[in-house]
Amino acid sequence: MSDLLQTLALSASGMTAQANRLRHVTENIANADTPGYHRKTASFEEVVNGGQRTGEVQSGPVKLDRSDLTRIFDPGHPMADETGHYDGSNVDLVVEIADAREAQRSYEANLKMFDQARQMSKSLLDLLRR
Amino acid sequence: MDIRSSLAAQHYAATRPATEPKPEPGGQGGDFTKLAQDFAATLQEGEQTAMAAMTGRADPHALVQALAQTELAVETAVTIRDKVVEAYQEILRMPV
Repeated sequence: MSDLLQTLALSASGMTAQANRLRHVTENIANADTPGYHRKTASFEEVVNGGQRTGEVQSGPVKLDRSDLTRIFDPGHPMADETGHYDGSNVDLVVEIADAREAQRSYEANLKMFDQARQMSKSLLDLLRR
Repeated sequence: MDIRSSLAAQHYAATRPATEPKPEPGGQGGDFTKLAQDFAATLQEGEQTAMAAMTGRADPHALVQALAQTELAVETAVTIRDKVVEAYQEILRMPV
C-alpha cells in the first residue's frame, strides 16, 4: 500500500513542478514587451532528502535566457539610442506557447498517474468487500 | 458413566482458560496501536492541509494529495472493520 501512497506524493510533486513551470511561462508572456527583459527558463531537479533520492521532482533555480535581445527600431521611444533602436525582450511567443503546452501535457500525465494509483488502491480494497 | 450437571460444569470450567484472552507480549495491542496512531495522524494531516488550503496557505496539489490519502486510509479502516464485524457475527451465528 505504501508504494501506491508514494505514487500519490510523487505525482503531486510533478504537478506542482509543472504548475511552477507554467507560472514562469506566464511571466515571460506578460513581459514580452518589456524592454531589456530576459526570458526565464524553469529547471527541474530530483528531491534529495538526507542524501537519499526520494524520486520526487521540484523546480530548481530559475535561469535567465542569455540570448541576444531583439533590437526594435522606434526613434520616438525614450530608450532609443542614436540609431533609433532600443533593446526589447528576447521572449519568443511561439516558444512560450509550445512550452506552456508541454507543461499542460506533462501535468495531465501526472494527473493520470495520480488517478491510476487511486483506482488501483480502490480496486484492491474492493476485493475485500466481496 | 453417570451424567450430572456438576460434571458438565466442572468440564466447562476446565476449558475456560483455553479461551481466555492472552495479553500481547509487546505491551498493549502492540502493532495495532501503532496502526491506529498512523491512521489518526493521516486524518489529522488531511484536516490541517484542508484548513491551510482554505486560508490560502497550502498548495491545492498538497490538498488533493492529503485528501486522497485520507480517503484511502478511511476506506481501508472501514473495509477492515466491516470484515472484522462480519467475522464476529459469523462466530455468533455458529450453532452450538
